[in-house]
Amino acid sequence: MSVIQHHAFLFDATRCIDCRSCMVACSVENKIPVDKTRIWVAGVGLMGQFPNLSRASMVYHCMHCNEPDCLSACPVGAYTKRPDGPVLYNPNKCIGCRYCMNACPFGVPHFDFDKGLIEGAFIDKCTMCPQRIDIGLEPACVATCPTDALMFGERAELLSYAHDRLAAQPARYINHVYGETENGGTSYLILSHVPFNELGLPNVPSRPVKEVSEEVMGFTLPLAFGWGAVLTAVAAGVHFYNQKKEADAKKPAASERPAEGPQ
Amino acid sequence: MPSTLSRRDFLKIGGTAIGAAVLGEFIPPWVAEAARANGLLDATLSGYIPSMCEMCVWRCGLLAKVVSGRVVKLEGNPDNPHSGGDLCPRGQSGLMNTYDPDRVLTPLIRVGKRGEGLFRKASWDEALDVVAKNMLDIRQKYGPEAMIFSTTHCLSQTQFENLLNGFGSPNYGTQRSLCYNAMIVSNMVTYGMQEPDRKYDDLKYIILTGRNLMEAISTSETSALSHAVDRGVKLVYLDPRFTKTAAKASEWLPIRPGTDLAFHLAMLNVIIGEGLYNHAFVSSYTSGFDKLISAVAQYSPEWAATLTEIPADTIRRIAREFAAAAPYALAHNGWRTSNFTNSFQTERAIAILNALVGNWGVAMFTASGESNGPLGVPPQPPYPRVSAQRLDGIPWKYPFVPLELGVFQELREAVLSGTPYQAHGWLIARQNPAMSLPDRGRTLAAFAKMDFIVTIDILMNDTSWFSDVVLPEASYLERYDPLNIVGGKAFLRQPVIQAQGEGKSTLWIYKELGGRLGLGDFFQYADEEDFLKQQLAPLGVSLDQVRQQGYVDLPVTASPATPSWSTPSQKIELYSTTLANGGFSALPQWEEPLTPAAGQFYLLTGKVAQSTQFGTQNNQLLHKYSDEPRLWMNPVSAQKLALADNDWVEVTSLAGKVHVHLQVTEAIRPDCVYLTPGYGHLSKGLTVAYGIGACDSDLHVTYTDPVSGSQALSQTFVTVKKI
Repeated sequence: MSVIQHHAFLFDATRCIDCRSCMVACSVENKIPVDKTRIWVAGVGLMGQFPNLSRASMVYHCMHCNEPDCLSACPVGAYTKRPDGPVLYNPNKCIGCRYCMNACPFGVPHFDFDKGLIEGAFIDKCTMCPQRIDIGLEPACVATCPTDALMFGERAELLSYAHDRLAAQPARYINHVYGETENGGTSYLILSHVPFNELGLPNVPSRPVKEVSEEVMGFTLPLAFGWGAVLTAVAAGVHFYNQKKEADAKKPAASERPAEGPQ
Repeated sequence: MPSTLSRRDFLKIGGTAIGAAVLGEFIPPWVAEAARANGLLDATLSGYIPSMCEMCVWRCGLLAKVVSGRVVKLEGNPDNPHSGGDLCPRGQSGLMNTYDPDRVLTPLIRVGKRGEGLFRKASWDEALDVVAKNMLDIRQKYGPEAMIFSTTHCLSQTQFENLLNGFGSPNYGTQRSLCYNAMIVSNMVTYGMQEPDRKYDDLKYIILTGRNLMEAISTSETSALSHAVDRGVKLVYLDPRFTKTAAKASEWLPIRPGTDLAFHLAMLNVIIGEGLYNHAFVSSYTSGFDKLISAVAQYSPEWAATLTEIPADTIRRIAREFAAAAPYALAHNGWRTSNFTNSFQTERAIAILNALVGNWGVAMFTASGESNGPLGVPPQPPYPRVSAQRLDGIPWKYPFVPLELGVFQELREAVLSGTPYQAHGWLIARQNPAMSLPDRGRTLAAFAKMDFIVTIDILMNDTSWFSDVVLPEASYLERYDPLNIVGGKAFLRQPVIQAQGEGKSTLWIYKELGGRLGLGDFFQYADEEDFLKQQLAPLGVSLDQVRQQGYVDLPVTASPATPSWSTPSQKIELYSTTLANGGFSALPQWEEPLTPAAGQFYLLTGKVAQSTQFGTQNNQLLHKYSDEPRLWMNPVSAQKLALADNDWVEVTSLAGKVHVHLQVTEAIRPDCVYLTPGYGHLSKGLTVAYGIGACDSDLHVTYTDPVSGSQALSQTFVTVKKI
């Protein structure tokens, strides 16, 4: 098997039976405290009225964005994006500012409010199990999934597999692979039988927030200098105008002043 | 599937990596000499050890990752057909059962009153001496039949049976009658085997009758069903609840409880009436078809519609679709089939439905069963003759129930009534009758009549709580068990870590206890490894080889060219002469189930994916990901009773009452309520589980099906009120 260039998950909501084996596997693999979790169930669960019912749930991981906003927002460089997919977080660099939590459009990084600054590890999130994928194993959640609702592999191949499924069973799915383009593309791809917002997923534009903000932020210097120049010019204008006004005012006053002066 | 997506390939790569590591750099030491010799762990006491799960009875193969002598992660073993590389949430959480802070790690002897929870630590010698003395005293005073032995579905069951039979007691309590007696007995009279194997590979049509495979997970079968659904199989699911299986079904039929039989009788009616059955198969391989024709003529879909509340047209259409899809069609015979006293008839109707469409050899196959196969057995003398009657009524009251299944609830009733004689002692291994038997009040009263109770378990379970002696078992990750044959391989359960405290394998406990009871000849093995070596002897394979690989391939046995069935007629018996001779109806027939009175609900029970029976609720990892076990009720009913979600309610049945939170949900019929089983523990030795939820056994009323001995677990009716 060739080395994977860009790791990704494919989650198929039609296959998920909400057994939570992935969550237990993740907790064990990553030694997550018993009152914490890196994977959680999003979505509405049960929909409809008896007896016309349906159910949908999804296991929410980190989306491992191609253009991670957490990384952009982090002021101390605690986040890194590995070229082969995982978005990683280094607790040793973190200062607990929680900018990443605000920046992430998917609400993934979560803060450990139980710990103080000195205790370290402030933020926690899915890592894509680099300790496993680097030795050729699937992430813990994927490896154990009894219904193959979670799959793992080369992103391009998963995408084409997902599109094949959409084409083969159009009645079964919403005709979209969530994560293909969302936020500039993610390494967590999703197929669903219900609208994605019912799985708890936000409507995120294709253009990554990061790119937009970078573009916007790109104007900062020109804008700062430009506006500075304008303000300087205005200030200078006002100054010269005042000077001129003052000078003009002084002329008659100059004639008056000696007159006043001695009084 | 793209190359990088192949899960099997991926796991093989993983497996190869593991294998390479094993062969390469491993050096001593480890907890046991053999592991050192095998090089399963490296110098840092780390590596992967193949073994077998025991979080339920499915026995998935696993690979235990051990770091510094501690198990840190469990993976499914791709070589094992039961796990296929996957583990369910219970399997994943298994190490938490082993590392549960509530583990009982030394033998305990009761010092307070029963149920008070006061015990003192004892040595194995002292505890076993006390147990043996009490058992021998009971045998001397009242005869060996005064000792009850109960255990269920474990790999050391053969040795447990040696203890029971060697001691000379006929009283064997398994939990089968609370589970699948109806299915097993119906298959035995129809097919001459306990449970035919099933395959999903080629199926186009599946009918599940209350078989909630997506929550009552059997890893490989759940996976097979899921992939069948993925392929576009038509899945018809009958259940009064919208379970997670219902969510995956093509068609969910919220059938009225107790009327599955009517649905399947109508299926037979349509398939026979419209000539949709497989004529060739029926004439070659079944007997009694002509008698069946007249027997089911009265059961029209219209008749069934009023009982089941499923429209007649729907039943007729499903019958036609099912027959059209045959032989790629399967009516699943279920697992926990103890629902109503008519469940045996339901199971018979399902068995016959499969026979009529001729799906044998496509969807159903000769059972591989749980035989010893070509494995060796330690030598042992013949058992002493037992003349006493069994307390549970087999065969004098229940002639068709196999001895190894039993009628557990009747056993309890016999203890209470003292007829035909009084039992005085109870040895219970890895079983929890205080939770499992219906009508818990009566079970506790039965305990009170016992002179002596001893339990063997890894935890202070609810039955241990009422015991005189508790013997600590090593957990499934800490011990050996006899080999398990699955799919042409014999799989090994071996210790992946050293047993904590003084936990011991049941192979050791039974041998030690047997020795003290004068039954040493029934336990002719030096230790667990010697037992396994004797099992492996005929194969010419060393234990070390099996430890390394986790299994051994067995010689291939040729399957018979033509199917055969061990029934009196050697055919599939649509008309059962066995039943007729026993004075029961030889053909499936409608039996009216009990129904709730006005203001009462059917009390339903059924599994969730995060727990197994009564033994996993204390597991912190499962507890973390479990839903609160509340009482489900449809909003229409809740509104009538002025109840709101999360109200604290009192649930009352003929047997008792419980208090529990209400969960108002659309996912249940308005005439039913549902309670997750396995909660409402009595033992304060279960610090996680104690105080959570309510126990359905406090509510279940004892009703026994006269043919199969099944306890009717859904035949309890309750009222609900706010408190």
